[in-house]
Amino acid sequence: MTRQYFEGPLGEGYLKATHESGLEIYIMEKPEFSSSYALFGTKYGSIDTVFGIKGKEKVTVPEGIAHFLEHKLFESEEGDAFSRFAETGASANAFTSFDRTCYLFSCSDRFYENLEILLDFVQSPYFTEQTVQKEQGIIGQEIRMYDDSPGWRVMFNMLSSMYKEHPVRIEIAGTEESIAKIDAQLLYKCYETFYNPSNMYICIAGNIDTDKTLKLIENALKPSVPIEIERYDFNDNEKVLKQYTEQTFPVSIPIFTLGFKRNITSGEVPLKEKVCMSLLLEIICGESSPLYASLVKEGLINDEFSSEYFTGRGFAAAIFEGESTNPKKVASKIKSRIAELINEGIDKKLFSAVKCEMYGDAVRRYNTVEGSAMQLVDGAVSGYDIYDEIKILKNVTADEICRYLNYFDCNNTVLSVIKPEEEQ
Amino acid sequence: MSYTVNSLASGVDGYFIENSRFNTTLISFNFYLPLNRDTVAQNALLPFVLTTCSKDYPEFSDLNFKLSKLYGAELIAVSEKVGDFQLLKIGISVISDKYTLDNEELTSQAIELLLGLIFKPAVESGEFKANDVEREKRKAIEHILGELAEKRTYAKGRLIEEMYKNDPYGTSKCGTVEAVEKIDGKALYDTWENMLKTAYVRVNVISSELPAGLFDKVSNTFLKIDRKDVTDFTRTVPTKVSLKVNRIDEEMNVSQGKLVMGFSSKLSGSDKDCAALTVMADILGGGPYSKLFLNVREKQRLCYYCAVRAVKVMGLLTVDSGVCKENMEKTEQAISEQLKAMQNGEISDLEFNSSMKAILDSFKTYNDSQNLLDTWYSIKIADKKPITPEELSDIISKVKKEDITDAARGIKLHTVYRLIPEQKEAL
Repeated sequence: MTRQYFEGPLGEGYLKATHESGLEIYIMEKPEFSSSYALFGTKYGSIDTVFGIKGKEKVTVPEGIAHFLEHKLFESEEGDAFSRFAETGASANAFTSFDRTCYLFSCSDRFYENLEILLDFVQSPYFTEQTVQKEQGIIGQEIRMYDDSPGWRVMFNMLSSMYKEHPVRIEIAGTEESIAKIDAQLLYKCYETFYNPSNMYICIAGNIDTDKTLKLIENALKPSVPIEIERYDFNDNEKVLKQYTEQTFPVSIPIFTLGFKRNITSGEVPLKEKVCMSLLLEIICGESSPLYASLVKEGLINDEFSSEYFTGRGFAAAIFEGESTNPKKVASKIKSRIAELINEGIDKKLFSAVKCEMYGDAVRRYNTVEGSAMQLVDGAVSGYDIYDEIKILKNVTADEICRYLNYFDCNNTVLSVIKPEEEQ
Repeated sequence: MSYTVNSLASGVDGYFIENSRFNTTLISFNFYLPLNRDTVAQNALLPFVLTTCSKDYPEFSDLNFKLSKLYGAELIAVSEKVGDFQLLKIGISVISDKYTLDNEELTSQAIELLLGLIFKPAVESGEFKANDVEREKRKAIEHILGELAEKRTYAKGRLIEEMYKNDPYGTSKCGTVEAVEKIDGKALYDTWENMLKTAYVRVNVISSELPAGLFDKVSNTFLKIDRKDVTDFTRTVPTKVSLKVNRIDEEMNVSQGKLVMGFSSKLSGSDKDCAALTVMADILGGGPYSKLFLNVREKQRLCYYCAVRAVKVMGLLTVDSGVCKENMEKTEQAISEQLKAMQNGEISDLEFNSSMKAILDSFKTYNDSQNLLDTWYSIKIADKKPITPEELSDIISKVKKEDITDAARGIKLHTVYRLIPEQKEAL
């Protein structure tokens, strides 16, 4: 096992160890805390619908299968993992997003026992036709719950209007129709590909001993041979499909998401771009910006307004979202402001304030064991040192970020709106 | 981990919760006022007006700019119901000075800012400025209307509204749209004065050290205020038993229905008095080892979630679930059967031990989160001196199966609220 230690600017650091199997292990000791947080994750999410193992045929699987697999992995022949965690008192859970699936627990006692359970159940798939069928009903209810969530709908309506091919456009849990096509054999195929340790990572933060933890992991890992997964790029570097989409819903006030599509060739955008684009979003319409003040004064946005640079493997979009009685007007004002900034440049005072704010936010993320562990996951999935963000923030200049303004293509946007039913 | 209490003025206590594991300092002022329909809306608006402008920062954009320069210091504005009382929370969270890029003194600036917001608001001739009031009224109205969007929250809110129709607890925490519309600058000024004069005040400081002079400043400020008729926040009337189950059905254009059941509990009041209720609620529908998760979700596959929550101060237990229309009756019956099993003493060792371990483990995590600690020390109102997570953990560890069965026997169904998908249910 190779080891590398990363020193952080906050008086703490973390260790990255790489096992012979290719598994990456990230550990941040936080001895002053009472609890610990551990995740066992795979670089596998809802966007991995077409894939292959080098030298083997290309496979296309039903939408929502990564999430389905997450649900099923908790079961084994002897019982489910929840009942094993119930014996230790840990709080266990799992989640699936576009590009990752993570299994996790938090606990204050019996950390090493809990880690053994986590390592064991994630490495022990057990799928039968009967248990797959049972899960279809439960996930069907979960899908309906998302169908009724306007915040969820407005986002996916935007993504499905922005992307023609890239699977980021599909629901993470799939649809009731797509999950009906899932069977045990398909689950095993996905498992054998993406749950190979060479595609996985373990991230831990808390009151633990690094050496003891590494030893335990080494002993618990089942033998495996690293594989090379082939992921296919989606040719989506073109204009958005639709510039405007709307849906009516039982809501009282319209909800909107405005997305600026950024065409990227493949892989993920660099961390520097993420940091600079996030700074720009704050300068364009963050709470300290003149545009934010004028939109609030005009009664066009409220405290629900926010922005994000939404990125992952093969996709990137700058997003503004919120509630508004007039989403089209908000969208138009944001675009005008971007044009102004391109012409006039950036206010240096605002830049300096926003830089401080983002720096403070980065410091805050390490305030809990959960926050620290989630940072390690981000680093593991994206392949960067988690402290790079703070280093970039310290050194970035206003002139540097100005060039990223061109990444906002005002002619390649989608405005997604959820309208109250009465307006039909 | 303990805390120290300093009496700062009549009905004003300063709580210093010493904790050195965080990168930030959190200070919150918690004002407790009686909860009633006539005043809830203007009380609720106050934290939001106070945290968007002040005498020193008359424009909210100037205030936001200052917060950015304070490394993204976060202001906290909350209106919450705690039993029969309304809690107004105004606070700030700021990163420690040692993490700044140029060794800036952030904490002292953040304290000055917070005190200015609370005690030196942007007022003219005994009124808040119309612009500020109208801006926050509009946002408050949109927030109230926005509650309809998330159906789970909406359905739970409707249950409480129906269950406590004639009691303070049935009041919505932000009031109604009509009540917000009526608020003007003068009314809000009177509300502010009333809050400073009559609310019981708890100042929580969660940090590695107590900022020098903070409590003295707070004390001196309150000593200049004519404090009288300070709210006695310990008296909440618990939920009454309903002789007949109240049933409310509403239809909406949704794909999944919501079933929310409200029960009265014989046990109510402080955490200490409700230790058995806490464990009972957890065994019924807490973690994935609970009766509802294992039977209603996993075995009968009726729903994705089926969660139990106990509001101890009210003696209230709720069960909420997302279910499809055809399974509504079956799910209600299944929930009732599991409760009945508990009332018959059917609690396995596995259920008991799993729940106990999970609850006791979770208590140890409170000291690892500033927000959890702040919430803990602001909602414990049934006792004048709040219990610590460690003390409560100790009490809960002594709960026996018989206590849990007894607590379950004191649970009576009061109201059932159902949000039913309209006929054109989507598939």
